[in-house]
Amino acid sequence: MAEAILSEHIAETLGGLGSLEVIVGIPSFNNVSTIGQVVKAAQEGLANYFKDRKALIVNSDGGSEDGTVEAVERAGTDTQALISVKYPLDPVHHLTTPYHGSPGRASAFRRLFQIAQAGQARALAVVDADLRDVTPEWFHSLLEPILSSEFDYVAPYYTRHKYDGTMTNSIIYPLLRALYGRRVRQPIGGEFGVSGRLASHFLKEEVWNTELARYGIDIWMTTTAIADNYKVCQSYVGAKIHEAEQGLDLSAVLVQVVGSVFNLMESHDLAWRNVLGSLPVPLLGSPFAVEPEPVSINRQRTWSSFQQAVRDLRTVYEQVFSSQQLKRLESCAAAPADAATIPDELWVSLIYELTLAYHRRVMDREHLLKSLAPLYLGWVASFARQTEGESAAQAERRIERLCLVFEQLKPYLINQWPLGSREKR
Amino acid sequence: MEGMWARVVWGPLRQLGEQAVATLSSLVGILVLILLGLLVGWLAKQVVYGVLRALRFDRLCDRLGVGMLVERTGLARSSSYLAGEIVQGLIVLTALLAGLNALGTPLTTNLVERTFVYLPHILAAVLVLILGVLVSRFLGRSVLITAVNANLPSARLLAGVTRFFVMAVTVVAALDELGISRTTIIVTFAIMFGGLVTAAAIALGLGARDLARDLLLSQFRPKPSAEPKDTMHHL
Repeated sequence: MAEAILSEHIAETLGGLGSLEVIVGIPSFNNVSTIGQVVKAAQEGLANYFKDRKALIVNSDGGSEDGTVEAVERAGTDTQALISVKYPLDPVHHLTTPYHGSPGRASAFRRLFQIAQAGQARALAVVDADLRDVTPEWFHSLLEPILSSEFDYVAPYYTRHKYDGTMTNSIIYPLLRALYGRRVRQPIGGEFGVSGRLASHFLKEEVWNTELARYGIDIWMTTTAIADNYKVCQSYVGAKIHEAEQGLDLSAVLVQVVGSVFNLMESHDLAWRNVLGSLPVPLLGSPFAVEPEPVSINRQRTWSSFQQAVRDLRTVYEQVFSSQQLKRLESCAAAPADAATIPDELWVSLIYELTLAYHRRVMDREHLLKSLAPLYLGWVASFARQTEGESAAQAERRIERLCLVFEQLKPYLINQWPLGSREKR
Repeated sequence: MEGMWARVVWGPLRQLGEQAVATLSSLVGILVLILLGLLVGWLAKQVVYGVLRALRFDRLCDRLGVGMLVERTGLARSSSYLAGEIVQGLIVLTALLAGLNALGTPLTTNLVERTFVYLPHILAAVLVLILGVLVSRFLGRSVLITAVNANLPSARLLAGVTRFFVMAVTVVAALDELGISRTTIIVTFAIMFGGLVTAAAIALGLGARDLARDLLLSQFRPKPSAEPKDTMHHL
């Protein structure tokens, strides 16, 4: 199948290289300022750690117009092991912006998986082209567990500031962990390693032309790897420093990311319905001695967003939450920013009610997810107040406690989720 | 003499009797049709109510906001019950009109014809109103959520204004469909809309000139904010 889709030139190049062991994939779209550094790091990583293995670096580009492809060529010292391929960008990709990574990210991944399949690669590592801090060690971290320990999916484990990745910390990680029972700390890291076996499995799935692929391909991969019982591990990489999130629309991010998790809950309900508690996922390697970028939160602003929402969005929340939950929200909102607190039990129950409301379609789904934005900002303010002056490890323990509440309250979600809903759809 | 009796007395009496029998049979026919209409209508209502309930029509209406409207106006105990009652009403009305038509008088025939010509307009107006309610609720909620997410202090006012204007346009369109004082309604609406915009413009120009200036300045020439910025990455 892959040979039929790949262009003749690429198929010829791959044929000339013979059977590959390792591939590094770099999806890109107008990343001229950073991609050269990423390519150099990949070359160094392959030279340092996998010099005896047949390797290839593939830049999968979505039609950059800023000289990204030329920057890749300039950065490449060994042209035999570096190819650039283009993936098609649909008009939809131009119109919509995914929460992170390049537009048409799923198309780029698909092309990389096809190349991995055609080249019979054992392991593929994918890193974003907009990374500013990637080092050669990252590639060792993402590829070695597959080559030496037969893992199929390697999720990254970053060193992050306690306020970095707040949506991952408050919703995505705890919810995925409670649902599928595996503790993958960075389920939407952006970087990952995947075995040839799992890449072929991904290619067989009918997801590539869907909205889920367009906005939630990372969550889909992590969920599929776990739900389909592939061997999953985490591996230490350095600090995650992306290009700044300029002008990001938070409500759109929630629609894309949380919407993808909720959609996967519907298609995988048989996989999570009987899961209680969670199991650790092996964490390989050792922490990198890097200092994460400092992150600041304007607690006054985020908390006032929450307060306004509790006051003004009551008609919306009435359709989703119980009167008791609304009363508790109002009681929280009455406190000033200096005393901002949203108890874990309340937060978890709100998220579970939202998943149920999303599933039952009590209102337009986009409205529902967008109405979550100010509540999430309230959680951020509450978390920032509670962890003020605490170390990253102490903050992490708070996240762990939140995860446990997600797990404890999961039976409520299971009981409320309509039986046989999948069959009914 | 006998011939005269037959022509002057018995003839008209027989004619009157025949007419009375014909009228009576027509009335009985109307009565039967109405009773039949009531029976079929009642049965149809039960069937429609049962089927819609089984299909969870009420839940759909609740999601679309129609359920709340039905509940608040007290039209019926649920949306599916209301749908059943509408079907019942249409069947009874049809039976009544069929009965009147059976009388065959110019008056009833004309009435039936006019009713049938007007009925599609009533249905279209009802549909326009339902659509208007749905659109106004959807757009109102869109505006409300977007405004709250943008931290606009008058989010509820903006949402209310959106709902009001959509409903105003809807009512005008529905009345226009019914042909009720078409020109008067459109002119009234135009005057009201124009008046509101003019009033708002004058109020802003006279009463809140400085505020408008500050708003425009902050929009197009924003001062550097003294507030600390968020640098968090959500994912």
